Amino acid sequence: MTPELSNAALIPIGIHQTLFLTEYEYNRTYIIRITGNDNENMSPEIQLAGIHPRSEKLIELTRSYERAGTSWSQVEVQFEQETRELIKLQKSLGFDHISDGALGWQDQLRTVARSLRGVESGTRYSRWFDTNTFYQKPIVAGKISAGEIDPKNFLQTRLLAGEKNRKIILPGPYTFSQLSENKYYEKYPDLLFDVAVAEREIIRRLRNEGVSLFQLSEPCLVYQPYRETFRGESEVELALRAIRSVVENNPGEFVIQTYFGDAAPIFSKLVDLPVHGIGIDLFETDVSSLSRQTSKTLVLGVVDSRESYVEDPHWIADTARKFRKQVDVQDLVFASNSDLKFVPQGIANQKLEALSKASELFEGSR
Amino acid sequence: MSKLFPIQEIGSLAKPKWRTKGLRQPLSAQDLSEAEEWAQKLGINDFHDRAKGILKTSDDKTRTREILELSTLYGLRLFETAGVDNDGVGGEQQRVEMYEHVIKAVEGMNLLGHVHSFDYKYFNKGVAESKVSRKRPIYTPEFSDVTRYAHRAVKVPITGPYTLVDWSFSGYYIQKQRASSPKSRKIEAKREFLLDIVEQVIRPEIRDLVDAGASWIQIDEPAVTTHPEPQEMELFVEAWNETVKGFSCKFSDHTCYPSEIGYKVLAEYAPKLDKCDQLALEFANRDTSRLGVDESSREGYSDLKHFVNAGFSGEFGLGVAHVHDFTGNVSSGAGQAIGRDLIESPELVRDRLLFATKIVGDPVKIWANPDCGLRTRTWDVSFAKLANITKGAELARETFE
Repeated sequence: MTPELSNAALIPIGIHQTLFLTEYEYNRTYIIRITGNDNENMSPEIQLAGIHPRSEKLIELTRSYERAGTSWSQVEVQFEQETRELIKLQKSLGFDHISDGALGWQDQLRTVARSLRGVESGTRYSRWFDTNTFYQKPIVAGKISAGEIDPKNFLQTRLLAGEKNRKIILPGPYTFSQLSENKYYEKYPDLLFDVAVAEREIIRRLRNEGVSLFQLSEPCLVYQPYRETFRGESEVELALRAIRSVVENNPGEFVIQTYFGDAAPIFSKLVDLPVHGIGIDLFETDVSSLSRQTSKTLVLGVVDSRESYVEDPHWIADTARKFRKQVDVQDLVFASNSDLKFVPQGIANQKLEALSKASELFEGSR
Repeated sequence: MSKLFPIQEIGSLAKPKWRTKGLRQPLSAQDLSEAEEWAQKLGINDFHDRAKGILKTSDDKTRTREILELSTLYGLRLFETAGVDNDGVGGEQQRVEMYEHVIKAVEGMNLLGHVHSFDYKYFNKGVAESKVSRKRPIYTPEFSDVTRYAHRAVKVPITGPYTLVDWSFSGYYIQKQRASSPKSRKIEAKREFLLDIVEQVIRPEIRDLVDAGASWIQIDEPAVTTHPEPQEMELFVEAWNETVKGFSCKFSDHTCYPSEIGYKVLAEYAPKLDKCDQLALEFANRDTSRLGVDESSREGYSDLKHFVNAGFSGEFGLGVAHVHDFTGNVSSGAGQAIGRDLIESPELVRDRLLFATKIVGDPVKIWANPDCGLRTRTWDVSFAKLANITKGAELARETFE
């Protein structure tokens, strides 16, 4: 049951005991604090933060294509139609930056891997973190440099033609290099920085295609379990240096998105990066240990792309409000905590609608 | 079984078109032409009588039953003809796929739609909407057909409780949690959901299978290596031990495609798994495709040492054949890349088995198998792979004679 909101401030019982309530607690106790402090003057933008799911129709077509029951042109028509629909949905929900949803991407790394010289892919599938999805592991077999870059492999340029603010999501250099198998470089930093240089070239090409916002996803900066030992400070510094080398000269165009792990231990370093925004996964991050003033935009992963229930917009808005009391940020962006492809498309779209509604509630409560 | 390096299948085979189509609509004689070809190859002598029955019936339920029975027979004969010693349940022809097949039989679960797994592969993901329980038998009808037709030993692969829960949305179970941190809520929800699946769904099913004569249950737990955190691994062990408690049949675990840390963490916990007689694991996917029994050529099998060092004393089901698309290079003598398929040579299989023997120390403990179910390969390719595994095991066996 969704609680009714009024414009009055309702003083919660026990709200100070915890920074984030479950939706259950939230709805049961009707503890909703909807008046903000005087400093709140933001209307959070909403953004896609990863690969969007394919519809059941498209899924069936791609399966049929694999069984040689459907031609590729039929599949392509459906890909285009769904991309158009997703663009339309984002616009109707008030998104400022439009993404094509990367519906055709088979995994988060492959498109970049296939645009690099020195990288082979195709012999080995690895699990994408702790999900039930897989990626083709890039095999580094030679010195890495940017290869043939066809922007059409990265985004649906034709379908985004009318959009001024285009966003694309790419793996960051640290995550890409961490998830690759290195068979060439003797020293890891050489691999990492060659990936960064090559990505800079990819980004330059995509900038020419009108992309104005680049999200570099860096889950490996915060995801711990696949490591036997916690990455040391020097490794984090190395990773951040590689990110700096990608974003140099155009820092205002970049968001560094972390997910699947707690961003708190490296938060202060993240906000020092010369980028427009930093993204954190609110379902993994220990927000109570964040306390910082920053001029950065914070992308809040505030809907869970790995659970099917659709978050209550009031809960999202209230959670964001509490976050902002904890961390004094310039601007907030509402997003999912990672790729929405982990839920069926209907649920993903409902989650986007919840974000949009939450943004209105957040703004309306000023 | 006394022979060294026995061969086993791991689970699924691709479903032939006539099986898939026949479950949706009546078939024509033309639809069964592929089945006729394979009947000759596999020695299914009563094919024509069976085909007549399928074509004649106007009752959907009867047709479905006959097609499922026939495709199970084909699966068993395919394995048998290729030389496989343990033929499982004939390629899981009676299951939609490993997850959905179970979830459809669970009260309290609802399938929400398909989500991406890899390439153009997806799975229909379910959510727990209330406390779960078993609605109907899940594997026993299939096992009944298997026992009727199998000429060789069989085992029943079942989807493990940890994987079922990990691949589902926890819905009802997470909404009722009270812990303040999202992470604590997730783990508490998972534990409650998992123990309910074990007690209410999996154990009743194993009881029925054992009563029907099953002597070997393979518990498929691909999700376990995706969560190497101690809390998750302990939960997996707790669920496993609850699952097998009190049953006297053979149990084995099948796990594949671990996250970056590989099998190291599973190795640490494997000795704690009660009654786990065998670990059947994917290795070929991570190995080189060149001949040799040196560590560099056989780098994909290096994780075996973790199990030995941790004290796991059971058998190993060694993944010696890749089951996914392959586009890499194959060294001379190691096999053939045909289209998107790699057909490993018997010599490559042999070298993998011999290298594993060096690590494990006892050839008696090693079975040969594909990395995982062969459902992504055509029957021609699956047959060729299995036949070469059989030949490779023979070559390995010769070195001990």
